[in-house]
Amino acid sequence: MTENMSKQIKFRVQRYDPEQGSEPHLQEFTVPAERGMTVLEGLIYIKENIDSSLTFRTSCRMAICGSCGILINNYPHLACHTQIEELGADTLTIKPLPNMSIIKDLVVDLTPLFDFHKAIEPYIIRRDKEEMENPSAEFAQKHEALQAFLQFTYCVKCGICVSACPTSASDRLFLGPQALAQCYRYCADTRDEGEQERTRLIDADHGIWNCHLAGACSESCPKGLDPALAIQLLKRRLVSGAIGLGKKQEPSAVVLPPAETKEKLPFPEFTVKQAK
Amino acid sequence: MRKTHLWFLQLISGALIAVLLGIHMGLMHLDDILIILGIDAVEPTSWDSMISRAMQVTWVALYIALLIVALYHALYGLRGVIIELTSSAAAKRAVTWIIIAFGLTAFIAGTYVPIALLSS
Amino acid sequence: MAQIQPRQNYLGAGGWVWAGKYKLERYLYALHRITGLGILLYLILHLLMTTAFRIQGQEVWEATMAFLHGPWFKLGEYLVVVAFAYHMVNGFRLILQELGFVMGRPIPPVYPYSDALRRKRPWAIAVVVVAVILSLVFLYDFVIGGW
Repeated sequence: MTENMSKQIKFRVQRYDPEQGSEPHLQEFTVPAERGMTVLEGLIYIKENIDSSLTFRTSCRMAICGSCGILINNYPHLACHTQIEELGADTLTIKPLPNMSIIKDLVVDLTPLFDFHKAIEPYIIRRDKEEMENPSAEFAQKHEALQAFLQFTYCVKCGICVSACPTSASDRLFLGPQALAQCYRYCADTRDEGEQERTRLIDADHGIWNCHLAGACSESCPKGLDPALAIQLLKRRLVSGAIGLGKKQEPSAVVLPPAETKEKLPFPEFTVKQAK
Repeated sequence: MRKTHLWFLQLISGALIAVLLGIHMGLMHLDDILIILGIDAVEPTSWDSMISRAMQVTWVALYIALLIVALYHALYGLRGVIIELTSSAAAKRAVTWIIIAFGLTAFIAGTYVPIALLSS
Repeated sequence: MAQIQPRQNYLGAGGWVWAGKYKLERYLYALHRITGLGILLYLILHLLMTTAFRIQGQEVWEATMAFLHGPWFKLGEYLVVVAFAYHMVNGFRLILQELGFVMGRPIPPVYPYSDALRRKRPWAIAVVVVAVILSLVFLYDFVIGGW
């Protein structure tokens, strides 16, 4: 596709309106696509120009809110993050994310995803409850300690990993790669002391041991998070804890800001001659 | 026993099966390769060969050990597969107990016969 | 207005095998499951043969063995052997990777993203290659060994 040429791309979108009581079916639209146009822009074009009843989620249009997860040509993508050209096809089949209930058209019910996420207590837990609720100062954390889990903090909760997971396909009660990866993110965080509590939650039926390393979650994650790696590292932690190996992680200490500030540097010389 | 221990046992039993079943299959199936390697292999499923192994304590011990790890590994795996298709707590408990009962039955049957033959 | 129930959209057990255009490792998982269940089925039959039919004495045993040496049974046995070879080799890979030994470290996500399993793709390829080699070794034995 050159700069000015636009192509007619067929969008076959799955429609489903519960109020009309129909079965899900594919409806075809033709969208003039230019270079650089994303699938989301195509959907917005359809909504604005062809059929305003087309329903989908969108918010930031820049792959940070996680709203627009959909299945494009049998693979889950963020619609705003996927250019029509990169798919290399003239017909795009667009369906809602699998393994989640459909509310209408392309909108799925993300409540189970959020419930599982909340279930693993995704916040820093300290034994000193007073410090946790009313912090007096910051927690010290070295840069290397942050790098050990930083990759897993970029989750936008789009639910694409749950759609890709084979265990989530058949097991409604499975926590899912999103919740398990976030569980690792908090257990590996040196500021956190809640690993015992979270272990009880995931070391159960439909918990971490139902992950069998299919790796589809990491393959499809639109933010490069690698939930599969997080889950296997979490398994390693659990096994080390269970058989008694592994170093005990020292929780981060509370660090007050220094009482004396460093000496102020002198103001630098102007690099451009000032007019008098 | 925590689920972590049960899962870790699955790994250990898997590794043990690789060794024990490797020996078993090497004897049973690779007879032509054993001949090439110079070991004189009699037809292992013939009555005489089978009885001679059934009379040796090392073989009986090996088979019983293989039975234990194979039953654990297979039934833990089967339970995992069925649980992923089951939602109700009552059904899950039923599945677990049926699998444990089946495992114990298979273990008893599988150890009774070799020991009976050994002592006969 | 009555609350509308969302429509179920789970793939079910079919989602273990196919959910979209995913890469190799997802199918290694599916195959691991299928071979495991196949071997379990064979285990049950095998235990039956070597207990119920062994304790009844020489005639029953030799008749059973003659029956089980037919070509279709030999083919079935060969499939079980292939399943075991794959399950064992993939199992070794899973033991190493699920305990975090062959997975690598977390890296900052820089576009285009890569993930630990894809970086360790050579291990998955090695699993397939070794499984194929073992299958060929046993094929030689089963074919030359007489049907």
